[in-house]
Amino acid sequence: MPLALTVNGEVRLSNAGPMTPLLDILREEFQLTGAKPVCREGFCGACMVLRDGRPILSCLTPAGLVEGSDICTIEGLSPGGTLTPLQDALESHDAVQCGMCFPGMVITLTHALRRTHDLTDAEVRQALVGNICRCTGYERIVAAALAIAAAHGPEAARDG
Amino acid sequence: MSIFSPLVLHQPASISEAVALLAAGGRDCAPLAGGTWIMRAPIRHEAPPPVFVSLSKISALSAIAISEERVELGAAVTHAALAEAVAGYPDLQVLAEAAGRSANPAIRATATIGGNLCTTSFPAADLLPALLSLDAEVDLARSQGRERLSLEVFLERRAALVPGWLLTRVVVPREAGRSAHARLPLRKAGDYPVAIVSVAIRLCERDRVTKACVAIGAVETVARRWRSLEAVLLGEPVDPERAGAAAERLLYEITGREGIEAPGWYRVHVLPSLVRRAMAGIAESLSSGNSRPCRSP
Repeated sequence: MPLALTVNGEVRLSNAGPMTPLLDILREEFQLTGAKPVCREGFCGACMVLRDGRPILSCLTPAGLVEGSDICTIEGLSPGGTLTPLQDALESHDAVQCGMCFPGMVITLTHALRRTHDLTDAEVRQALVGNICRCTGYERIVAAALAIAAAHGPEAARDG
Repeated sequence: MSIFSPLVLHQPASISEAVALLAAGGRDCAPLAGGTWIMRAPIRHEAPPPVFVSLSKISALSAIAISEERVELGAAVTHAALAEAVAGYPDLQVLAEAAGRSANPAIRATATIGGNLCTTSFPAADLLPALLSLDAEVDLARSQGRERLSLEVFLERRAALVPGWLLTRVVVPREAGRSAHARLPLRKAGDYPVAIVSVAIRLCERDRVTKACVAIGAVETVARRWRSLEAVLLGEPVDPERAGAAAERLLYEITGREGIEAPGWYRVHVLPSLVRRAMAGIAESLSSGNSRPCRSP
């Protein structure tokens, strides 16, 4: 029986086995390549997607365990090309970087901003412990997250 | 390489169903909790068993019950859920720190207490020394019945257990007054610890230690109690410097595990500092607010 996965609001079927990493189905079958296979060990965070609003490591998640959950990938965060306030802030802070770690960072911060309205610098950094950048750094990303927390408050947090 | 994994995944809704599947599967079958270790089998060049039994649909395994006497934790309780549940209890501080600082947030939200205890090839598990210091016990279920073992005995036997058993619950007696967990990752966070020291103590009215449990993790291949150090702490006040010096004298008992992130000698060398830090954490907990051992936040 094929797996039925709800991805970015759409039910999609996969013929992959239930122990197949969700990441591989997203990328190879569904052509959603925003989540990246980098370390495949749960250390780097480049494969992160939201499961029912919470960040998960799709490289370590058997697809069979997420049937019935809402999966949101980086592609699903801004339907119709409308950026979320967080994405806007990241762009205006010139924090986009190379694109390898970045989708995972956006996923983590989307969740962190939804959960807490007034994030501190330390909280942003703690949230990003599992998102590793190997080329540029974190300062502008942290600044963008803090700006969105400060500027938009609960409103921005709700919209992510 | 095909992305289509051929592995079978059962998702039973009860413990009895799960142990029946495990018994039927024998050596070709293993329980799957959070999956954060099992899903990395290809990276370790290991062939996984062909059949897995997921625990995620068994609600009893995610239960947490905290009473004055004990804490009962379902085997599929995640590190994040555990850290949140035990936060603020001075006697359970070791558990809050072990569960709340291991790995990174997404792993903590997925990796379970049962997985941490059953992964025989993972030497740097944070919950092992923490639970050893609290004299935890584990409940095992199999189709023929149940049994409760001390965590220490379980760790001795776990590699040799016959297929078909399932670790269902961890029971922590609340006998400690204060506890602390000191770990050394190479980065500030997000790494495996090079060495771990967990300490739980009980004090008498005159603030002398009447019971001390010290456990070390990540240093040797399996976490264990450090009983010779415990004996030195007994009958004395909480004194981080003295405890560290005592640890220094007892280091000859420990042989460090070689590993890619640190050589064995280094893991041993940092232990006295971690003992000092853990005891300082306990001293701080005693001096802040209630100086008597207490059981509620």
